[in-house]
Amino acid sequence: MMAWYTANAVVVQATMTTLLLALSIQLPLRVGVFSFAGVGCFGIGGYTAAILYTKFDVDTWPAVALGTLLAGGLCYLLGLIIHKLSGLYLGMATIAFSLIVAVAATNGGSLTGGASGIFGALGGITNLHVLLLLALVVAGLAISEYGRFGRMIDTVREDPELAAALGINVGRYRKLTFLASGLIGGLAGAVTTLLRSTITPAEVNFHMVVVALTVIIIGGSSSWLGALIGAIVITWLPTVLSFVADWESIIYGFLVALAAIFLPGGVLGLAKDLIHRWRARRRPTPPAPPASEAEKIPGGEPSSPATERSLASTQGGTS
Amino acid sequence: MSRSQNDSADPRMIFEADDVAVHFGGVKAVDGLTFGLPEGKIIGILGPNGSGKSTLVGAITRHVPLTRGTLKFLGKDYAGDEPHLVPHRGIARTFQTVRLLEERNVLENVLLGTDSLTAGGRAARRLGQERAEQAMARTGCDHLAKVRPDELSYGNRRRVEIARAIAMEPKLLLLDEPTAGMGRAEKEEISTLMLSLRAEGLTQLIVEHDVQMMVDTCDSLLAMNFGKLIVEGEPREVVRNPAVQEAYLGKQAVKHA
Repeated sequence: MMAWYTANAVVVQATMTTLLLALSIQLPLRVGVFSFAGVGCFGIGGYTAAILYTKFDVDTWPAVALGTLLAGGLCYLLGLIIHKLSGLYLGMATIAFSLIVAVAATNGGSLTGGASGIFGALGGITNLHVLLLLALVVAGLAISEYGRFGRMIDTVREDPELAAALGINVGRYRKLTFLASGLIGGLAGAVTTLLRSTITPAEVNFHMVVVALTVIIIGGSSSWLGALIGAIVITWLPTVLSFVADWESIIYGFLVALAAIFLPGGVLGLAKDLIHRWRARRRPTPPAPPASEAEKIPGGEPSSPATERSLASTQGGTS
Repeated sequence: MSRSQNDSADPRMIFEADDVAVHFGGVKAVDGLTFGLPEGKIIGILGPNGSGKSTLVGAITRHVPLTRGTLKFLGKDYAGDEPHLVPHRGIARTFQTVRLLEERNVLENVLLGTDSLTAGGRAARRLGQERAEQAMARTGCDHLAKVRPDELSYGNRRRVEIARAIAMEPKLLLLDEPTAGMGRAEKEEISTLMLSLRAEGLTQLIVEHDVQMMVDTCDSLLAMNFGKLIVEGEPREVVRNPAVQEAYLGKQAVKHA
């Protein structure tokens, strides 16, 4: 185990940082916000941390924290401006945001190192640190996927008008999604940069959007678990099959096309579907109303016919 | 929850609309409606397709912007509310086409009615669960709790949507064609449910095409045409009114009748 880890530490690290970036794109998609601002936030977080660390002698963790917060704050401001856009228009606006970050990085002079970026920003971050941060982010996202919170987010995505009719403040959800996405993207950028000691404008371009989307589409967009599956596939494929590295773009494109056509919910969606079907087969269909149901309902009369009972049972009951 | 039934001659108005208009460009979908909903009654809105019924429901829930007019609920003007605030005031609705989360089971869909209206925490979760189970029992979909909506019949999908609205424990329930596509027996079940909710004092506004059901269930009817209120009153009288028959059947048919 230890030997395996030592041999593969770099790939494990890449899996975790890829996952963080993918999560910053997956969260807005799950709330129904078609935003790729997470990539721009990756750049903001990464550059901020690197500049603070190399030019202002700020320690590793304060640099990471400031990069994360700045990215979150800017992404929230972006959300305030554009959260009412939808679909492709929102997608375009957020990609433009990410490209603006890249342009600013390229033209930032000595502060950002221009087209060659910043070097020598090797902070004191270990894989264990990354794992802990990742666990924290995943825990937060997991909470947002289960129970009432998960249901409300699903409704905001699937049917915003219905969500409002159920009393859910759709606008607030959308705005807070920009904040959370910015924080995760910023964290991903800051951590990745101080791990690898370098960041360049080339890392904040459209290629990153494609990588994040590939991870999400292959794994599944409905849960962090899908992003984890996608991140593992994307980072390990080139190491398992060496020829993949040479044909990366073509093979990833092919995988995305296959997943989009045959697995609209990704690998995770396929797994969930199989579990659901397996459960449905074990359940007698259609389920008949159990005869003893009336006893459970306050005020119910066990002797009355099924429909009458079910419609009028709580009349006069303690509601 | 204690809803007192009010049988006095002039019951309190729970909801009042004054000169409400919704214009889409040149189209006057709703054009100057003034009416009130007496507490604890079932009021039906009658009118041919395109007469502005659903737009009116959308205006009441604040999904549709008003061109002019005021809306009062429990004496408070709420015309400036954003849509998501309306359920918190105690107004719940169902939709003309059933809207459910297909990936979530029936229980979770009904729980959605309580999710944003109850605070977080264990006690609230238990309360929400109780409310949802009760609502499912009343609408007759409690045995379907673990089934996904895409496996349900049309009538049962309607029931789940009504259960979700009931779970919100509203003071005013808006039902937009709740029995569309249902058979006679199913319609009667919905009718029975509405009457049992009325017995608890729940005010209901129903949009429906089935005139017979409206006459049997409603305390009074509002007849609309071209965005305006044409007749208002006791169901049988409204249905017999020549202006209503003309709006529904056309001038010629009324003449030959």
